[in-house]
Amino acid sequence: MQHVVSIRGLSKSFGRIQALTNVSFEVPSHSIFGLLGPNGAGKTTLFSIAADFLKADAGTVEVLGIDTRTISRLRGRLSILPQDAQFQRNVPILDQLVFFRLLAGQTKQQAQQEVLHTLDMVGLQSYAKRRVGSLSHGMVKRLGVAQAFLGQPEVILLDEPTEGLDPAGARQIRDLIKQLKQRATLMVSSHNLAEIQELCDHVGILDQGKLVLTGSVDEITRADREYNLCLSRPLQNSELECLTSIEGVRNIKTLSHPGANQGKGSAEYLVTLDLSADHINQDAVIAAILRGVLDMGVTPRKLAEGHSLESHFLEVTGGQSGDTVALDPAE
Amino acid sequence: MNLKTPTIDHIRLISLYWSRYAVRSGSGLVYLLIALVFGLFVAHILITPVEQLIARQERELDQMNPEVIRNTIVDIGQPIIQWVLGQKSLKDIVQQSVARQRRLTNHSDDDSMTVQSQKNDAGLDPWTRFLLEKRPALLSAIFLVLLFGMPFVISFLAYNQVSGDIQSHGLRYLLLRTERSNIYFGRFLGTVIFSTAVMAIIVVTIVFYLGIKTRIYPALALAGWAVHGFLALAILMVPYIAVCSLISASVDSPFLSLILAKVIIAGVLVLAILGSVAWEPAKYLLYALPWAWQSNLLHPAPVRCLGAALACLLYTAVFLMLGYYCFERRDL
Repeated sequence: MQHVVSIRGLSKSFGRIQALTNVSFEVPSHSIFGLLGPNGAGKTTLFSIAADFLKADAGTVEVLGIDTRTISRLRGRLSILPQDAQFQRNVPILDQLVFFRLLAGQTKQQAQQEVLHTLDMVGLQSYAKRRVGSLSHGMVKRLGVAQAFLGQPEVILLDEPTEGLDPAGARQIRDLIKQLKQRATLMVSSHNLAEIQELCDHVGILDQGKLVLTGSVDEITRADREYNLCLSRPLQNSELECLTSIEGVRNIKTLSHPGANQGKGSAEYLVTLDLSADHINQDAVIAAILRGVLDMGVTPRKLAEGHSLESHFLEVTGGQSGDTVALDPAE
Repeated sequence: MNLKTPTIDHIRLISLYWSRYAVRSGSGLVYLLIALVFGLFVAHILITPVEQLIARQERELDQMNPEVIRNTIVDIGQPIIQWVLGQKSLKDIVQQSVARQRRLTNHSDDDSMTVQSQKNDAGLDPWTRFLLEKRPALLSAIFLVLLFGMPFVISFLAYNQVSGDIQSHGLRYLLLRTERSNIYFGRFLGTVIFSTAVMAIIVVTIVFYLGIKTRIYPALALAGWAVHGFLALAILMVPYIAVCSLISASVDSPFLSLILAKVIIAGVLVLAILGSVAWEPAKYLLYALPWAWQSNLLHPAPVRCLGAALACLLYTAVFLMLGYYCFERRDL
């Protein structure tokens, strides 16, 4: 598998605070790589070093085989949505983005066309003549995403791309990211684990500046993948035992059981699969569970993938909120 | 120092964008207003007594006497020029000004004024004589005061070339699109363009007013000296902008950058002047900035005039390279 981003032995400190410690991982081509971690874990620092905003104390970042300390060689091939960078408040957004494209060598007309198209993609075309100072927080975030999508970058770094967006705006950005996967490799950082699980095929988890877990989402969640199963009635203990005995099922936990006392009403279960054995197929296990449920005369009302990644995240980070251990001034 | 290859096209784009939007930002507007008010106020202070004399002559004699007017201008301009060139102390200047004011109020006798002016003229050095007699004296005095005062004003424009965008991380949108050197030199050039445009506005306004309202100097002499004065002002601003550029690249707070620029530009002058009273070599502090050279931009000898311009460019080069060294290596 070809790697588009290679990070080797990356370390960075701010005074006495160690923001990154010997971080190494690789990002495969045409993948969406999710970078997870509590606040202050070093995600923004890592992105900032990858874009040469910050200088690393040790280690290297290579993008498309080029050391990012010579970032100009990546001009036009790498773009970034920085987390907390501000646009010029008193300049119309069209002028700012057109200026970026003029730097890329486009004519003013070409630049305007492309910028308007990109603003349309993020739902901001009608605000093109407005100044940044008059936009809401969510709009500014979408503007940041738009500038990262300008041109034909081969690698796009998105630091918290949906932070502060309403659900519809966040969905729009997620859909755009999925579309971009066809032509680019993306690295996305987020606190939203469900979002990362939905978007990404590979993840890395940072905790207190150290990389504590990396790999494909499939590999990470394979050992205990979770599903939410909603049934038309609660299961008897014997029925639960019967389902748990299916090969590949680790355990089944009752999540909600509103009509438990009367033995009626719907009920929701968290089913944890153990797919670690090679011969066990996820789809076959799910089919066996559903067949078993139907044989018991119970109707499955919903089956949805649960937050398997979240469990791993909490496990490897110790379930600690980074808010109390903010390490990284860049975050 | 590894100076990453600057791209002329990018520097051009960045400087034009910067100078275009500098005026929209607070600092551009503040500078424009302060520079205009300062420039026109200096001109007003120096031109008004001459205008009053012309009006009085026209009222009393039905026509103006150019000789008397010119002598009055020399009276007004001489102490200012001598003080700025360091040939007389402030105390002498004040005494001379009081005497001049007394003569102006008790005048009525034009001949006595001429005689007094001739007395004052005696013993003038060639540089002062050149500025007072060979060139339009009123304009010479205005230019010298502007050359002295504008370095204090320029920091209002130049203090925030990059520090604000370092603080807000706004430069991060540019860093993947162009070299740091292009951003640094482009913004410096944009600031120079804006400053030069403001100097041109001030000089053109003053010269048009002098030419049309007072009609005491031939148009050609006025225009020629105006071009020289404008070039002197424009060139002098460049090293001070470069100092501000260095400060702006070193700190990530625009407010701190402004304070440091003010303290350094004024501090060098004050320390040199006050320090030299106690310890004479302190006067060499003036050479830390172009203070010691800048009046030579109006020197009659072309070699000294060009030498001062070259010194300004040398200061600019040193400050710019130091600033770029900081900017290239710092976290943004």
